[in-house]
Amino acid sequence: MSEQQGGLEEGGDYTPVGSRRTFFGWVTKVAAGLVGLGLAIPLAGYVISPALKRRVQSWVEVGRVDSLPEGEPSQLEYVTIVRDGYLEAKTQKAVWAVKQPDGAVTVFAPLCTHLGCGYHWDTTDRQFKCPCHGSVYDVTGAVLAGPAPRALDRLPTKIELGRVLVMYKEFKSGLSKSVEL
Amino acid sequence: MRIYEWFDRRLNLTSVERTLLDEPIPGGASWIYVFGSATLFLFLLQAITGMFLAIYYAPTPDHAYDSIQFIEEQVAFGAFVRGLHHWGASGMVVAIGLHMLQTFLYGAYKSPREVMWMVGVVLFLIVMAFAFTGYLLPWDQTAYWATQIGLNMVGTVPLVGEFLMKVMRGGELLGALTLSRFFAVHVLFLPAILVTMIAAHLFILRRVGPAGPWTDERASLGRETFYPRQVYMDAVVMLAVFAILASLALLVPFPLTDKANPSDTSFVPVPEWYFLFYYELLKYVHGPLEPLATWVLPMVVILGLFFWPFIDRNPVRNPIKRPAALVSGLLFLLVVFSLLGLSIKNLYAVPRVDPALARGQALYQQFGCIGCHRIHGEGGAVGPDLSYIGDTRPDREWHLKHFRDPQSVSPGSFMPKFPLDEKQLNDLASYMLSLKRTPS
Ligand code: FES
Repeated sequence: MSEQQGGLEEGGDYTPVGSRRTFFGWVTKVAAGLVGLGLAIPLAGYVISPALKRRVQSWVEVGRVDSLPEGEPSQLEYVTIVRDGYLEAKTQKAVWAVKQPDGAVTVFAPLCTHLGCGYHWDTTDRQFKCPCHGSVYDVTGAVLAGPAPRALDRLPTKIELGRVLVMYKEFKSGLSKSVEL
Repeated sequence: MRIYEWFDRRLNLTSVERTLLDEPIPGGASWIYVFGSATLFLFLLQAITGMFLAIYYAPTPDHAYDSIQFIEEQVAFGAFVRGLHHWGASGMVVAIGLHMLQTFLYGAYKSPREVMWMVGVVLFLIVMAFAFTGYLLPWDQTAYWATQIGLNMVGTVPLVGEFLMKVMRGGELLGALTLSRFFAVHVLFLPAILVTMIAAHLFILRRVGPAGPWTDERASLGRETFYPRQVYMDAVVMLAVFAILASLALLVPFPLTDKANPSDTSFVPVPEWYFLFYYELLKYVHGPLEPLATWVLPMVVILGLFFWPFIDRNPVRNPIKRPAALVSGLLFLLVVFSLLGLSIKNLYAVPRVDPALARGQALYQQFGCIGCHRIHGEGGAVGPDLSYIGDTRPDREWHLKHFRDPQSVSPGSFMPKFPLDEKQLNDLASYMLSLKRTPS
């Protein structure tokens, strides 16, 4: 009791001092710290979690091998279902496919490696051309001109029972190496 | 500390700190004074968890349910954050109740703290409004039908009820407009009002000072500063409250019911426990007396609470010396808690499962029906799937005949005859009929 009264000030208010005061302050800080941590950790995970989720990738049929002209790129459009958080949305994708003489199919991601514009196949020049900043690629995807830092990105492709299956991916633009997003 | 000193020299923080922490408490710090700060803590917790829930929540009928399900199932700690917010709401009602009870018992609402009490009553009503508007947001069956009832109660108010109900609902039906306005009220309007009222409540507290013990002799024994001992007590209680809520959030899952379905009127909604006593009260009042219970009585209670400092004009604060106030307070609590108790008892008395169903299910197991039939993905695929047989074959007679002699109702069936007596036949039929898409 004497210690409690020890902090008596002129106004008649008292305040605990010494080891009592240290104890109260210490418990207060521990309690605040525990509650803070108990909230901060789950809440940080809560906010970050969608950023760490890998997109589930699956094989999608984009067309039949027979219908592809050999050596001539064709744009294949297909519809896939994309999960966007709690929404499921149908989106249309279009990839460029080239049938090789041996029957294999090369599929290019539809975005220019420079800044991600959509490019097209120029049938007269026999080149892929990007209208944005003038990148040009040949039929194998190699860069011929323009600011493109690397060849066109190839998508994993396989052929099953005459059907062309592709796994759609996106890649970081502007890098000299292909880096998946 | 160097940073603190730097700011202190410029902003003169030490004097602010003194004002905040050296507030004198008449009679010293006490564990009985923690309810106010516990309520404030819970409000902050609700605000924080609410903001985080809003990161994923979508307030439209076509996405609200999915977004909450996404929080529950896909987001890391999502169920925990939602659980904290859910249990925090109950905690807030409990804390505010205890805070008011303590204020009442100590006569702390008496002059010069009448305004503080009145602001407190308004704060209590705002918290109830939070609870009501928040209940709809998950947009599941419980939310939908409980809100439907709440709105219909508003509709029973004479003259203006119909109009009021439509305003709250945002039109003719409980739908998109209702959900978005409940959401806006819950996350924008009410918090703004609540923060203002809390500021007023605390401002008044600092102007008139805490009430302290009810006898002046004990209060004059000494005045202890708010820091460090009261702060320490408040902090310990806050930690305890957080620990309780976190364990509830972790251990008691709070799943969604089915997505709101306006066409399914068979759903029996149950309001949150703090509205239960009122729900129970309405069971006893019908017909022309209904507005009395839905409108007059709550009005009387709210106004009575609000003006209580002027009704109880006895200046004495010692509870023993004011039996009238104490008895009326006790009586009020007794009524509320008996109604709550009755309601909970009734809820549990409703037989969740007809005993015949359990017996029928046991027979189903005993005779190995599961070998050929499938119920919700379990069992063989030889015979028909029975998951929703109650919907496709609602006729009891058919089942009875079928069990006795399957060939008689479905020729060519290779289901064997089972030796069942009348009671067993009936039990098994009851079980079959209960297998419905929407269990009644
Ligand atoms: S994006 Fe294709 S050239 Fe810039």
